[in-house]
Amino acid sequence: MSILTVLELLPLLGTLVIAFLPKSANRTIKQVAFVVSLVVAALSGLMAYRFRSGTPGFQFVESRPWIAAFHINYAVGADGIALVLILLTTILVPIVILAGWNEAEGGRWSVKTYYMLMLVLETMMIGVFAATDVFLFYVIFEAMLVPVYFLIGGYGRGERAAAALKFLLYSLFGGLLMLAALIGTYIISTNQGGGTFDITKLSMLQIDKPTQNFLFLGFFIAFAIKAPLWPFHTWLPGAAKSATGGTSVLLLGVLDKVGTYGMIRFCMTLFPDATKTFTPVIIVLAIISILYGAILAIGQKDINSLIAFTSISHFGFITLGIFAMTSQGLSGATFYMVNHGFSTAALFLTAAWMVKRRGSSQIDDFGGLQRVTPVLAWSFFIAGLSALALPGLSSFVSEFLVLVGTFTRYPVAAIFGTLGIVLAALYVLLAVQRSLHGETKPGNENIKDLNLREKVAIAPVIAVLVFLGFYPKPVLNVINPTSTAVMQHAGASDPAVKAGK
Amino acid sequence: MSTLATPILNYALLAPILIVLGGALLGVIVEAFVGKVYRAPIQLAIALASVGIAFIQLWRIRGESSTSAAIASVSVDGAGIFMQGTILVLAFIGLLFIADTDNFTAQASAIPGSAEEGASIAAGRQQTEIFPLTLFAISGMMLFPIATDLITLFVALEVLSLPLYLMAGLSRRRRLLSQEAALKYFLLGAFSSAFFLMGAAFLYGYSGSLNLNDIATAVSGSGDNSIFLLIGIAFLSVGLLFKVGAAPFHQWTPDVYQGAPTPITGFMAACTKVAAFGATLRIFYVGLDAAQWSWRPVITAIAMLTMIGGAIAAMAQRDIKRTLAYSSITHAGFLLVGVVALNKSGLSASLFYLVAYGFATLGAFGVITLVRDSAGEVTDLNRWVGLGKRSPVVATAFSFFLLSFGGVPLTAGFIGKFSIFSAAYESGNIAIVVVGVLASAIALFFYLRVVLMLFFAEPKDDVVTVVIPSFFTRIAITVCFVMTVVLGVYPSLVLNMTETFGTFLR
Amino acid sequence: MTTTTHLVYLIALPLFSAALLLVLGRLADKWGHLLATLVSAGTFAIAASEFFAMRSRSGAARATTQKLFDWISVGSFKVDAALLLDQLSICFVLLITGVGTLIHIYSIAYMSHDRDRRRFFAYLNLFIAAMLLLVLGNSYLNLYVGWEGVGLASYLLIGFWNQKPAYATAAKKAFVANRVGDVGLSLAIMIAFAQFGTVSFAGVAAGAPHASSAALAAMGAMLLLAAAGKSAQFPLQSWLGDAMAGPTPVSALIHAATMVTAGVYLITRSNFIFDASSTARLLVVIVGAITLLFGAIIGTAKDDIKKALAASTMSQIGYMILATGLGPIGYAFAIMHLLTHGFFKAGMFLGAGSVMHGMNDEVNMRRFGGLNRFLPITAITFGFGYLAIIGVPPFAGFYSKDKIIETAFNAGGTKGYILGICALLGAGLTAFYMTRLIVMTFWGAPRWSKDEQHPHESPALMWVPMAILAVGSVASGFLFTSGNSMVHWLSPVVNPTGAESGAELMKPIVVSLLALAVVGVGVAYALVKYRTVPVEAPEKVTVFTRIARRDLMQDAFNEAVLMRPGQKLTAGLVWADYSFVDGLVRAVGFTLGTTSQGVRKIQNGYARTYALVMLVGVLALVATIWMVTL
Repeated sequence: MSILTVLELLPLLGTLVIAFLPKSANRTIKQVAFVVSLVVAALSGLMAYRFRSGTPGFQFVESRPWIAAFHINYAVGADGIALVLILLTTILVPIVILAGWNEAEGGRWSVKTYYMLMLVLETMMIGVFAATDVFLFYVIFEAMLVPVYFLIGGYGRGERAAAALKFLLYSLFGGLLMLAALIGTYIISTNQGGGTFDITKLSMLQIDKPTQNFLFLGFFIAFAIKAPLWPFHTWLPGAAKSATGGTSVLLLGVLDKVGTYGMIRFCMTLFPDATKTFTPVIIVLAIISILYGAILAIGQKDINSLIAFTSISHFGFITLGIFAMTSQGLSGATFYMVNHGFSTAALFLTAAWMVKRRGSSQIDDFGGLQRVTPVLAWSFFIAGLSALALPGLSSFVSEFLVLVGTFTRYPVAAIFGTLGIVLAALYVLLAVQRSLHGETKPGNENIKDLNLREKVAIAPVIAVLVFLGFYPKPVLNVINPTSTAVMQHAGASDPAVKAGK
Repeated sequence: MSTLATPILNYALLAPILIVLGGALLGVIVEAFVGKVYRAPIQLAIALASVGIAFIQLWRIRGESSTSAAIASVSVDGAGIFMQGTILVLAFIGLLFIADTDNFTAQASAIPGSAEEGASIAAGRQQTEIFPLTLFAISGMMLFPIATDLITLFVALEVLSLPLYLMAGLSRRRRLLSQEAALKYFLLGAFSSAFFLMGAAFLYGYSGSLNLNDIATAVSGSGDNSIFLLIGIAFLSVGLLFKVGAAPFHQWTPDVYQGAPTPITGFMAACTKVAAFGATLRIFYVGLDAAQWSWRPVITAIAMLTMIGGAIAAMAQRDIKRTLAYSSITHAGFLLVGVVALNKSGLSASLFYLVAYGFATLGAFGVITLVRDSAGEVTDLNRWVGLGKRSPVVATAFSFFLLSFGGVPLTAGFIGKFSIFSAAYESGNIAIVVVGVLASAIALFFYLRVVLMLFFAEPKDDVVTVVIPSFFTRIAITVCFVMTVVLGVYPSLVLNMTETFGTFLR
Repeated sequence: MTTTTHLVYLIALPLFSAALLLVLGRLADKWGHLLATLVSAGTFAIAASEFFAMRSRSGAARATTQKLFDWISVGSFKVDAALLLDQLSICFVLLITGVGTLIHIYSIAYMSHDRDRRRFFAYLNLFIAAMLLLVLGNSYLNLYVGWEGVGLASYLLIGFWNQKPAYATAAKKAFVANRVGDVGLSLAIMIAFAQFGTVSFAGVAAGAPHASSAALAAMGAMLLLAAAGKSAQFPLQSWLGDAMAGPTPVSALIHAATMVTAGVYLITRSNFIFDASSTARLLVVIVGAITLLFGAIIGTAKDDIKKALAASTMSQIGYMILATGLGPIGYAFAIMHLLTHGFFKAGMFLGAGSVMHGMNDEVNMRRFGGLNRFLPITAITFGFGYLAIIGVPPFAGFYSKDKIIETAFNAGGTKGYILGICALLGAGLTAFYMTRLIVMTFWGAPRWSKDEQHPHESPALMWVPMAILAVGSVASGFLFTSGNSMVHWLSPVVNPTGAESGAELMKPIVVSLLALAVVGVGVAYALVKYRTVPVEAPEKVTVFTRIARRDLMQDAFNEAVLMRPGQKLTAGLVWADYSFVDGLVRAVGFTLGTTSQGVRKIQNGYARTYALVMLVGVLALVATIWMVTL
């Protein structure tokens, strides 16, 4: 049995244990959930240690028949890209649980349900990245919406029900388009000898151009909604506004990555020709997302929707890097996914603490927190600096790789993208000034600073951001071979140096 | 002096139907002679027993196949046996719901609101004819999908329909609505039967035979588009489309589903669909296969219309039973996709879909029987609001059935949808797949809206309670739930069967 | 090229102490400032030892490098975290650590009453670390890290008192303006990689000759944009004035001596690009010339002593930028002026700080006057700085500025004349506004109320650094020019080909005399004009004065052209996002809903209607089958 399967099963086991605990035993439930997630994190660390970097292709593979009638297997495996995203997941979940220790109280349902949903979600998040059978991927891709739906609707704030429904409908609609494309791909594989859902086998198919375009769109729109890319983004701010901090972290930090991950893993791998055909359009969409998301972020009054819009801008960068079709762009984009995961986590967690303490998510209700709660303020500030990709923090490395990788092939796009860094400075510093600087606003005088638990929760996130900023090598070494392989398969190669020596 | 050959009947193969019929007759006798105190339990026992035994017999003959079981009028083959089995299983569960006789009028003959009715209620009378009627319907349903000549088909159609007309009118509460529904169902049913019969006549006129296989040979023999063939196909289709509840022959569905006693609604929604689609598949796959150039486009169009129309119409519904009625119309559309696929995977996909849909439907209607206030069942959606808070288990089960209808992964419904669509795609009919996908998107909207009402809307402070389900009901719902989960997580259980059974004998 | 192992300590020590002071928080309040100062002094010691070590080596061996680890490596994009200490960077390292240390010492006293002194010193150390990384990085990307690092430190220090909204805004303004410059730097690096496949200085230098002139011009322009952002050059100059919101020692260290001169360093470091592209050079000199006049003019109208000095800084850096645009020979003079300016401007800022310290933070020069009697040491040290900046021989500024004016003239042709005259004019204006500043502050009758303010000399901790800097402003110029020592020292880096200056337009002595004459005029006019100074700024003044007081409308321009349209755009998009992008989705839902309501109407409950519908259906069915079979 592959270690990946173990990683998937552990949280389910935890869910089972919690299921048998009494509703009232909140403390125990939380502790169980936390310990389980810690064990998973540790185990994933072991996996990372055993991972042979420098080799493309899937490792820790396991495959056993699931639905023989359609040649569907339970098939898992991890290459560089999948590995880092799985690690992102397993590291973020315990942090989220610890950070939002009391988040579940006052929800519509019991604390018990919250942590069961949380752990089920972790299983699915690991599974979706580990799946090497497209059908398996699709099933999890869709099914994982349900726990999130209940996490938002059951424990969120404000217009949570509507937001949850919008999120679910949007995603399911995209999923259905993908389903059509998925079936198409499967049928083609059947016609070309032996139907299969194995990603590697499918990537060998010979598909004529028009069909490719059709199927590509099916997959891409689903992922563009997930990512989310302009103009499919309008579900995100609402969801982020209503969800609890922890849910937002997992939603934007991990789930949405499935979109960009899917673009690499499926769109590019299965339909290289169509990818080439649509690249110009997608590049434009990415640029629009970058600038549009940033400008709207500047215009937000609610701190959570501000973070949501910054993410739209960042997903624009990721998409740009992916479709730039250069090794820098692709590796940069993948690294960007990891960094965005952590910096969004830092932003949402600190924001959630601010909101919980102040009882409002309006940025202008804060102000002067720097003096009242230095540690909280600093955490938020550093998270912000990471969002504006300050050199020395990991997000800079990835953002610059994306831009430089884009520049070598699409200079104009890169130039527009670079304008984003000014807007980023604006939306971060405006938020920082309005919430942390200035005179301490009435009502904020007695806000408590972070307690030990919260410090322990936020510290590793910031540590990762800083460490990977100075020493990204470990992650890049894992990513590079895979992205090279993806590019080779897509038949792309880095542009040559202009001025030869 | 010509000698009349005595017909040879293969009783072993016909036994399942005969057993059910026998049970029905026995039931009638019980009605006549047994005191009313014991009737209900005995009737139930007989009904369950006969269905059970019939299934056992069916299991023993599962490997068999013959076109001459009853001369040439039925052909027992994989698909036929599978569908009979499905009908029996679903019917068994249906009976468990029906067992809660509180749903049925004390005395059908009494005029609603009359003193007579009051008296019968006071006397604690119970309408136990429901059981034999159900058995008659079941026997018709079992015959319908294996019948291979048009007369037998028609007979089966009537045998299954007539009891249903009656049963629809037996609701204990809101009797007028129930009786109106029954009447409508009867009138329109008769109307459609007439078309079916006309169609049969035309086809006979065209091919000189009533047997599907002969018709098939006739069609493939002469490629000409004789007016007889065309009108025959058209009218025959009308009869079938009416039964499966496809647009534009669907309008009876919401009214009848709403009016009929909920257990009956569940029963006919699940079992009638199986039987009707069984026959439809056989007629189009076996009889009219060669004439596909004529009917495939129009059935495709009807499938699209039914999927989209049903989904859109459902959005505006405020009554849970009507909503499910429209949902069943939408699903009829999806199943028609399997019909027009016209290939092996289309057949097995349809078989699986019927099973998945059947369990979810029975389960859903079963849950509805539990949600009541002092005046009986509450079907007004606005009063279901917040049910998830008061009785999470029931609400969860119901939502799960809805998610299965919506085809969300890890539910049986998803696998059904997937296999149907891949069959259609395989047949090269990509347009219908796209339309189907859009339809499912719209359908998802109203399924999720209900889930939203159950869980996220603030409960109103009126007394809608969930009654403690009776033993039978509890079992039934549990089975449906488990099956919906299992078929979603490990569908091979049934898929392998549909693969092996999914063949028509020609 | 030798390799070493201890360059990293130059950066690591201050970085570590900064982190320590920030993490420990209040625990370090007692000794935080001492540790920071000690660390800063330590870096200076290392720098000094490195300097003498370098002196002892000769020729190519003088430059030394240290590779720390390979930082980013993706495909052909390979960047080491590596440091390079050569003749150019050592100048900066000495300036940064030297002046930095003095200002640390000064601040111990200056900030003694501030509750957050520890945080202040943490930021100062952070700045030292970042600035050293900026000048020590061996590739553009390493430089970029320091580049943004100093930006961050500057942001933190300008906004050190960010409870005052105006100060917080000033900090933000500075950072954003710098970010605009960073767009330039980023794009320059991207061009470098696309063109040369590397971003290290050595690699780009090697490839530059092979690149297309367009590419070189583009990269040069982008580098210039970056420099303009960091060094407050036209058109990105507007932030510097507001940056004076920071504590005065910050203004002295960051916004006078070191950080704002990073742009000059960047261009000098990229000499191989500018040497290869006349277009880029032209842009540079234009920006330099405009800014040196721009700043000078603003300087003539400012009553806030710090803002006046800031304007002067802007103008002086304009001189340096101008010099860097004047070809290989100009770089040395730019650096020379940069160093001398580092001394005298830092000194004067500290002086201004000392004045504010004695006048409870009053900055309006119209409320000063006759302070030389109360702050004698400050007055004298300030006076040295004054003489240096207006370029009176033998003070430092005379040598450095003269060289620039000379080289400007020698650029040849009309270009030479225009640039030269601009430079001269600037010298005159400098003389005018500096004299004005001196007169308004130290001479004349006191214009402050005796009972409210009790001006007093600052403690030794403050005046000793000022004194040391004053010495620098006296001696440095002579040291650098005697025997062209600075030119020779730098030539291996900035002028490897040993290019000579263009044909002499006029004898150096002539230029010097011209300059002195102009300066004399400026001084004289100021003395006459400000014999008496009204306490309130006169209202009835020429439109030119008004414009000058409003910084030549730089903010008005930015607001009209960038800010307000930007705000409109933002508001518009927020609205559009809801109405159109999301509206489209809602429209779909609405349409379906209404359709559904419509469908309900057919479902009227009458069996006859249903039958009719069925009949229609039948006819349709027959018709279609009929049609498809025709």
